[in-house]
This record gives sequence, structure tokens and C-alpha cells, in this order.
Amino acid sequence: MDYELPSEFDLIVVGTGVIESIVAAAASRIGKRVLHIDSNNYYGGLWASFNLDSINKLVTENELRNELDKKDLLKENETLYSVGNNAFNLKIQSQTWNLPEKLEEQNEVQTETVDAKEDVDVKVDESWTQEKLLKLSRKFNIDLTPKLHFARGDFVELLIASNIARYSEFRSVSRVLTWLNGQLEVVPCSRSDVFSSNKVSVIEKRMLMKLLTSCVDGDEKEFAGYENKTFQSYLKDRKLTGNLIHYVLYAIAMSTDDTMCLEGVKNTKRFLGSLGRYGKTPFLYSMYGSGEITQAFCRLSAVFGGIYALNQPLNGFIFNNEHTFRGVLCGQQRINAEHLVMSLEKVPQSVVDFSAKEYISRAIFITDRSIMESDKEHLTLLLFPSINGKRTCTILELGSLTGTCPKDLYIVHMFTKQYTSPEEDLKHCVEKLFYKQEESGESEIILPNILWSFYYSVPNTFNLGLKCEQLHNVYMCSGPDMDLDYDPAIAQAKEIFTSIYPDFEFLPRAPDPEEIIIEGEDNNNVLNDDNNEVEEHSDNRTEENLQTQRNID
Amino acid sequence: MEDFKFLFKVVLVGNAGVGKTCLVRRFTQGLFPPGQGATIGVDFMIKTVEVENEKVKLQIWDTAGQERFRSITQSYYRSAHALILVYDISCQPTFDCLPDWLREIEEYASSKVLRILVGNKIDREDREIPTVVGEDFAARHNMYFLETSAKEAENVEKLFMKIAEDLMQQARSKDLPRYDSITTNISGRTSSISDSNCCSKLT
Repeated sequence: MDYELPSEFDLIVVGTGVIESIVAAAASRIGKRVLHIDSNNYYGGLWASFNLDSINKLVTENELRNELDKKDLLKENETLYSVGNNAFNLKIQSQTWNLPEKLEEQNEVQTETVDAKEDVDVKVDESWTQEKLLKLSRKFNIDLTPKLHFARGDFVELLIASNIARYSEFRSVSRVLTWLNGQLEVVPCSRSDVFSSNKVSVIEKRMLMKLLTSCVDGDEKEFAGYENKTFQSYLKDRKLTGNLIHYVLYAIAMSTDDTMCLEGVKNTKRFLGSLGRYGKTPFLYSMYGSGEITQAFCRLSAVFGGIYALNQPLNGFIFNNEHTFRGVLCGQQRINAEHLVMSLEKVPQSVVDFSAKEYISRAIFITDRSIMESDKEHLTLLLFPSINGKRTCTILELGSLTGTCPKDLYIVHMFTKQYTSPEEDLKHCVEKLFYKQEESGESEIILPNILWSFYYSVPNTFNLGLKCEQLHNVYMCSGPDMDLDYDPAIAQAKEIFTSIYPDFEFLPRAPDPEEIIIEGEDNNNVLNDDNNEVEEHSDNRTEENLQTQRNID
Repeated sequence: MEDFKFLFKVVLVGNAGVGKTCLVRRFTQGLFPPGQGATIGVDFMIKTVEVENEKVKLQIWDTAGQERFRSITQSYYRSAHALILVYDISCQPTFDCLPDWLREIEEYASSKVLRILVGNKIDREDREIPTVVGEDFAARHNMYFLETSAKEAENVEKLFMKIAEDLMQQARSKDLPRYDSITTNISGRTSSISDSNCCSKLT
């Protein structure tokens, strides 16, 4: 299988993060010859999902190659830039097992899983061990960058409009929680939630509905005078009760005490506008993890002729004297292209004259029960409000129905803006959700145990305003950002695509298989000896043909 | 309009050049060889067949060339009901790669997926892998086995009909990997999700 890559392309995309993959798909879609390569042997870069085994072995340093002895492949006036830098990588703070390696009394367990019959439900067992979890490794799809999708957000609309939706499946987030008065509370999102909630009085219900309606339909007059005031002050002026302000401000508007009124209103609209489309909340989550998303775009690109090669030995970027991109050096092969799009981690060290000003603190936990147990499995978004000077924190709990972890286990993702370190920044949430409270009430709630934890941080490169001034025909893609959805990523991908191909439509709808007229369909090549007809564009014809169809033995 | 009772996703894998696309095109269109440029933009092919008087729609997915550099997306394997692993009987290396493919299948596909091993190109004179070797490999890995020729239309029909029949049987005995029951279809057209415990596909 030693195929050689073709050596002429319109566009080379290096790195398979979300933005890179969207650009690759969009360019292939309009007929450009695209080469999409990654030095990793997996899709997604910092946006990837991993099984338990591979996330434990995650390598976070780029292997920087600097082989400048390939001069024979360069033309006279060309320079080779080495690939990659270590300024924008993920930084692991800690990775901890809270489990024994294996059970003492158990003798060497036979590990014959050749026939992969482990779909048979694993018995509920209190005695989890590292060994047991690792044996289920492939049942885990652990996101480095978990995302939710607003049902009417840019991402979902793009997926539908471009027909990329057919590559993925989604699951609705089934509840949105907040932390209120020292405990978890379900946030009433929809009209019916509001009315059925027993936490909200009848008067409050009316106030809340009125407020939400005015946020959605209200014109400028409604918010006149609040241009320089906070959303909280607006809510207070509307004489909402404390609990209602909490629900609206911290959950629905995903805001803080300092969020400006108009931004709060905008956030509220984003939330409410996505209600009622797919589930009880405005959010969807991608089955088998967010890492599937980049792959969906890559598949579209491949279907439209994009060439895919992971695990490539990238030896350098070639530029001419005017600093215009000429091609890449992949192994011993020179591959030419007009444009280069790359992940930030792949940018040559010598060109990186900027650094991340901000980091995102993240944590992933494997737990043995839900943070708020219920008779059915939930997919939960918990918006942890800022309390006692701590920043707001976004928490996502995924169960086995999402295809990201085995039965009877949960994966909990947490993230917030980095202040000190991931462990420090998220400590208050971890303590409240997983450790016993001092003033525990009469009813003893059993809190989940953390079986495995992973703390890391990623640079928030979104607002760096990435422009490669020194190099021409080169575009850089940011890494993961703080947005709950992919809105900023899509906006950036679109911007890159439009600057390269200003006259083309961005990801027009891909045809359904039924709509494609295959060349040669009408010529003599068609053999009808098998009495089976191709499904055609006209339904009537298909009907007829099917009736004449014979059962073949 | 959509009067089929069952819809199954069938996925092909195997080295580049073993004839995956030819098998699909032979079956769905009766064409050989497939036009070169024609695969651009073709994601999967659909054909409705009849099994025990029921209409069964087969959605047959090809690799889009991503196998060439070992870069098939994991998501390609997700929610497949049947998986056809193809090698070329006149090319030993394509047979030698089968264990690698099986590893990938085991990693990403459902363990309940119906697996079929296919030795293609039996029209060729320069056979390198005897039938019995293929049979043996299939038996050891619990797969159904068939040798085909997309060029001569040999056993192609039989292959897909067998898949349709087996999947039907599995479906009747409720032994099918069940995807639809738990996922949401994010369709631009329909958007009905009754219960939040149900997931969607946005096609």
C-alpha cells in the first residue's frame, strides 16, 4: 500500500481540526483539488475524541522536525520552513486513577476479547478497577473539546444546508441544570417546563413568561436606557424574584453579574430561539463524541475528491523569495499547491510572533453515577454560576446513550476561563458535585465517585486575530475556543474560504445519491440481464421496476 | 412514496484497487467498469430489493478513497448494519492486510455488525489466493465468505441479497444493532422528536 501522493494541488490543508476540516470540505465541494494531511494518526487535533487507552497515552508535544538537508527538492530561490511549534499545544496538568489497578483476589483474568462480544451488558459492579475500565477502552470516546449545538444555531443550519448532516447522529440534551441555594436545580427552559415546574410559583410563572417574551420580541424601546447597564440590573428592574433572576441570568442567558444588558438579551434569544426543534432543551450533542464532527466534514471533502492522508511525515513548508507559499515537503516528496491552510500548532516556530493571552481550564472525569440521579439516563448541561468570586463554569455530563462511555458510567466535562490552574479553577465545582458537604441535610445523597480524572489546559487562540503578515497564501486556523457551539469556528472557516475563493458559494448543498446522474447510465454499458433496475430519480419509474423485480435466490 | 420497510446501511472496506466501487456499481447499476469521474460527489448508492415480499432498501457506502492512505474516518463505520471486507484474489498484499482491517472494524463498528469477507476478481487468471484460504480466514473470524467478479457479474447479486436476507432475519429476531431507536435525525424536512431520550440524525 505504498501509494505516492499526487504532487499538484490547489490547496493543502495541514491539520484536521474543525476549522481546517470545514475549509477542506468547502474547497473540495467547489471542485478544488485538496490535499488534507495530518502528522497525527487520528482525525481532529485538539478537537479529537479518544478512547480511554489513547487519552492516557496522549502526546502533547509536537515532534519538531528540522531536516534542512532536502535542498535538492527546493528550487533556487526557495526556503524551507520547519513545521510546527509548541506554543499552542494542550498542557496536561494531571491524569489520575482513583481505582486500584486490579482486584487483589482476582487471578489473572482471561482477556480473550477476540470475538468482541462485550456488547452484552456489563453487570453493574461496584468494584471498578483500572483493568476493567481499560478493557472497555474502545467504548469510550472522550472529547478534548466537547461541544453542544444550538438546535437553530449556525452549526446545525450549516449541516442541514450542506447536507453534511447525513454523516452524523445527534442526541438531545435532556436537561439543563444550575446550582442554586447549595444544590442542583433543573432550569425550566420551555413554556411547558415553566408551567409544570413546582419550584416556580404561579406569579413567578407569569413574570417569567412575560420577560422571556419581551426578550425575544422586544424592540429597542424595551431596552432603552440599558445600553450601559448590566443584564442583571435589567432583570432586577423588571422586579423578578431572586430565583427567576438566577435561572435567566446564569442559565438561560449563560451570563454573569457583569454581562451587559444587550449581550444578555442576545444570549437569551440564542437559547430560546433553539427551543422546541429537537428535544426539551435547545441543545444537541454529537453521538460518539464531538470528534466525529471534523470527520463528517472530511468525509464530504473526500467524497468530492479531497485526498486524505493521516500520519504523514511533514518535513517543511516551501516558500519563495517573496514569501509566497509554494508547497510542502512530505517525507521525501515535494507537493505543490497554491494555498496553505494550517492549524496553529503547525505554524513554523520562526513565524510565531504571537502567543495565547488566555487559556481554558478543562477537566474530564469518569464517574460511577450521575450528578443528579433520575430514573432514566440524562444528557446534562450544568451551568455553574459564579459564586464567591469564582468564575462561571460549564459542565457537561454524558451517559452511555451518547456512545461515549460504557453502561453504568458517566463522563463529566468541565471548563472555564483559566485563572490559576485547571485543578484550582474547577475545585469549587468538583467539591460540590463529588465530595460530601459538611452541612449535609437529613436526606443523604450519594454523590458520584471520580474513577479517573484528567486536568488540562488549552490556549484560547480565538481572539488573536490571526493574520500571517510575513507569508503569502497562508491561512492559520485557531484552536478550540470557549463557545458552547461551533459558531466562531464556522465563522472563521467561512472567512478563510472566502478570502481564498471570493467568488464561490460556501458549502452549497451536496446532492443526495438519488439526484446524481451517473455518466454512462444511458449508454450501451447498461446490462439488464439481472432484471434489477437502478433506483432512478422518478419515483413512479422505481415503483414499476420494483414490481417486475424477481426474487433472486 | 418511501414504501420500503427496512433500511440497512452496508459499508465496504478493503485496500484500494480491490474493486469495492465496482461491486457497488455492478450491483446498483449493472455497470462495469464504472466511469472514472463519476464517483465524485457520490456518497453512497441505494438499491431496493425484495426479500420475502418485503421491500428492503440497501444504502451502500463506499470509502471515498480514504482507504488509500489509511485515513478512513471512524464515523464511516458507525451505525453500519453490515460490513463487506474485500480483497483481490490475484493480489496477496490485499489479503495480508485483512487483519489490519479487522482491527479497525473491531475498534469502531458495532460488535453486532454482520461481517462478510469477499474475494473479488475471480475472472482473473492470475489467482494468488486459493478459495480455501479465504474460506479458512472467514471461518476463523466468524464471517460469511463469498468470491465474486464485479466484471463478470458473478455472485454480486447473491452477495447483496444474502446481506439483505440476513439483516432481515436479524431485524425480525431483534438482533440488529439498533441505532435509530436512540438517535435524533436532524433533518431539514422533519424534526419530530417525541422523547428527549431519543436521538436524531440531521439529514
